[in-house]
Amino acid sequence: MRRLSFVIPALVTAWSTLGSSSSPALLPDALVSRQLFEREHLSVGETVELSRSASGGAAKHFRIAGVYEPTPDPMRFAQERLELRVHLPDAEGLAASGPPGVPVTGINVQLRDAADAAGFASDVERRLPGVTARSTSASDDRVATFTVLDRFHLAIAIVTLLGSGAFLLALMVMLVDERRETVATLRLIGLTRARLVTQILIEGALIAGAGAAFGIVFAAAAEPAFNRFFQWRYDTALVFVRVTPAIAIRSVAFAVPVGLAASAVAGWTVLRRRTLLQVGR
Amino acid sequence: MVAARDISRVFEMPAGPVHALRRVSLAVDAAEYVSVVGPSGCGKSTLLHLLGGIDVPTTGSVMVDGVDVGSLPDNARSAVRLKRIGLVFQRFFLLPMLTAWENVELPLAESGVGRAERRRRTKDLLEYVGLAERADHRPAQLSGGEMQRVAIARALANRPALLLADEPTGELDQATGAQIVALFDRLNADGTALVVVTHDAAVASRAGRTIQMRDGSIVGESHRS
Amino acid sequence: MIRRAIALAWLRVRREKGRTILGVAGITAIGALLFDMLLLGNGLLVSFRERLDRSGFDVRVIASESAVIAGPPIERVTAKTAILRRAPSIAAVQRVRLGSADVEGVQAAHHVTVAGVDPDALVPWSMIDGTFPSVGGPPAAIVINRNMSRVFHLMVGSRLVLEGRCGAALHPLPLQAQVSGIAAFQNDATDALTAASSYAAVAALCGESDSDRADMLLIRSNAAAGGADAAAAAARAALPDLHVLTNEQIVERFSRIEFSYFRQLSSVLTAVTLFFGLLLVAVLLTVSVNQQLGEMAALRALGLSRGRVMAGVLCESALLIGIGGTAAIPIGGMLSIWLDHILRSLPGIPADARFFVFTARALAIHAALLVAGAVLAALYPMRLVAVLPIAETLRREVVS
Repeated sequence: MRRLSFVIPALVTAWSTLGSSSSPALLPDALVSRQLFEREHLSVGETVELSRSASGGAAKHFRIAGVYEPTPDPMRFAQERLELRVHLPDAEGLAASGPPGVPVTGINVQLRDAADAAGFASDVERRLPGVTARSTSASDDRVATFTVLDRFHLAIAIVTLLGSGAFLLALMVMLVDERRETVATLRLIGLTRARLVTQILIEGALIAGAGAAFGIVFAAAAEPAFNRFFQWRYDTALVFVRVTPAIAIRSVAFAVPVGLAASAVAGWTVLRRRTLLQVGR
Repeated sequence: MVAARDISRVFEMPAGPVHALRRVSLAVDAAEYVSVVGPSGCGKSTLLHLLGGIDVPTTGSVMVDGVDVGSLPDNARSAVRLKRIGLVFQRFFLLPMLTAWENVELPLAESGVGRAERRRRTKDLLEYVGLAERADHRPAQLSGGEMQRVAIARALANRPALLLADEPTGELDQATGAQIVALFDRLNADGTALVVVTHDAAVASRAGRTIQMRDGSIVGESHRS
Repeated sequence: MIRRAIALAWLRVRREKGRTILGVAGITAIGALLFDMLLLGNGLLVSFRERLDRSGFDVRVIASESAVIAGPPIERVTAKTAILRRAPSIAAVQRVRLGSADVEGVQAAHHVTVAGVDPDALVPWSMIDGTFPSVGGPPAAIVINRNMSRVFHLMVGSRLVLEGRCGAALHPLPLQAQVSGIAAFQNDATDALTAASSYAAVAALCGESDSDRADMLLIRSNAAAGGADAAAAAARAALPDLHVLTNEQIVERFSRIEFSYFRQLSSVLTAVTLFFGLLLVAVLLTVSVNQQLGEMAALRALGLSRGRVMAGVLCESALLIGIGGTAAIPIGGMLSIWLDHILRSLPGIPADARFFVFTARALAIHAALLVAGAVLAALYPMRLVAVLPIAETLRREVVS
């Protein structure tokens, strides 16, 4: 028999079922999270002792009936999911505080019509002052958190874009300058500035488009590696990186105009000079 | 001064080996003026590159002041080129972001010559080639002939005993080319040995000895009367 | 040789203004991002550590290892506090009881966090206005934060009613209180409503006026008797069933768990930014070298050694990255203000938390990465120059 050496009252999730355990062993059943199971080297069928007190007083015994994988929670991904689940009646005496009994900290409700959720929630709050009711689809801190993180990543992307834009411009200017004699020769032959600018812009668009496409392919190829690393690091099933069509479109929408702008500026640096000067006369 | 002994140079190409030079021997004495002529692709430039230590013969040896440069490690060969040999090219190969002064001064700085001596020598060289007033101009602001004269001044920076020139008038018009040839005459008169590769008969005729090449071999030699 | 190489590289960088300006601009932008990621890596921890130290306590005692700020209660806390106070390495002990209450506002009730402490002992906040008297009540003396003052239009002397929500009672227990002071609480989020009162008042608010429990014990160590480590050791010896953490250990735990996302983000973005920057500089240098192959071959033909020409490429890389990387520091500082402003709008983040904190260590790492970057970016272009066939290149330049 094992005493779990830490107090986990906040992590005990008790639920009510229509038929509670009727094990002939007379010990109530508990499900443990996989992380707890592995950390404490537990085994199914083992008996454990739970207590709300650090000294182990008023302990209750449970039999480990199985292991479950906690639902990944992005708000808690960095925390170790050391959790147990017991039947609600068996949770008596395990609460952190308050009088003896079975305190309930939350009630999940499934409505017949999910569209009623917001109305139902406000109705509950009106009828039961002090109770907070919320639709699962309503905005809460989690949405705000990801909104902020999205803005943060966008800020980084903007800075990266500025930096790479400067580099791209430097490269385009160098590459176009290398061809200035060719450009001058074409002008001497009779090609117009507009014709040459169109040529340069098309080249720039092709390079930018190809580069953006390569970047998206590279990101998509790297996505599993990133996810595997973070899933290993935090022992979670959460997906951290996902390249979606919207992200791919946004990347191309940023990259191609930057490439075109760099080509245009590079082209202007060459075409603005007098043709004869460019052929060394 | 410099002697090539039975040198061959074979370039391994995907389509098969190319024998650019076939067992060529040539000796150039101090203060001698030699021109090398021949049709395009006959191995003139390859010969010059081997004499200058820019390239290494496949067989044979090139002796500069008694030292087999082909057997020297790269750094030592570079030092020979820096201090003992001057090189002038058809395309000038001046550094575009440096002024004429800075281009000429470069080999002096690399040789470790002190600042005062560098300044004096660079000034003398630019005066020697007649470009003292263009010292602060960059190559883009010079004519072809002026650029070649700066290149010659650069090649003379470390007072080499031997000057090798590969088609020095190839990019120049006749009148400008004549100026360069006159400069070479003056250099030779002042004691510098010259080997000039050219396809221009007028340039070749100024040399005391002319070597004719064809298909990687020396096929003839003539002396100016 | 290096001096000459630097001199020539400096000339090239100065005179090819367009290329230099654009290259340096790119390096500055990427370098600023790199610098900020280094600041982010430790910023939150440094900020957190500073806030913990400012509270005046350096050891914390809690009942469970599962939560640091608050967790299951510590029982028989009066006796335990007395034991701790007898330890020579412990200068002060404060027990904290956390509760919550509703306060009626102009339009709606607001949820308020209330901390109960012993008024006679050292308190974990700093007073802005008023006092926290050791005796008094009814009404109970209460200290509020600035947000509460603003939202409920309260000032020192104002009265208010708190309806306790922290006990098991079905109906809230009202507490009549009078504002005795306004204080700054260390972990307040930007929009937090926080108050503090006497231990007895908060216990009554939660319907447990006769309970002898606390959510945590705060300890100030005696610096002359061994400091935080000695105080923590004494607490562990006196209370073996409880969890004792020094501020350093709390910071380490937060670094490992709560802040790990930002540290991971910092590491990943640092690596990606560095790789990206190296790639860009390497491409820039490679294109530049390819454009100058004829000149390089001519320099080699003139007599410059292979090492000398390679050193020139390395010096050019070092100059571009050195100038851009140095400019990246003030730019990164300004960028960090913007990024910090974004991240501080995360829910629940203390108002005075800083994600980006300048440290000498971050600056040193930034410099080291720049040096490594200059070398790595120049490797391929240097190789191009090293294996350059002089004669063939000269020939090709003539033909082209």
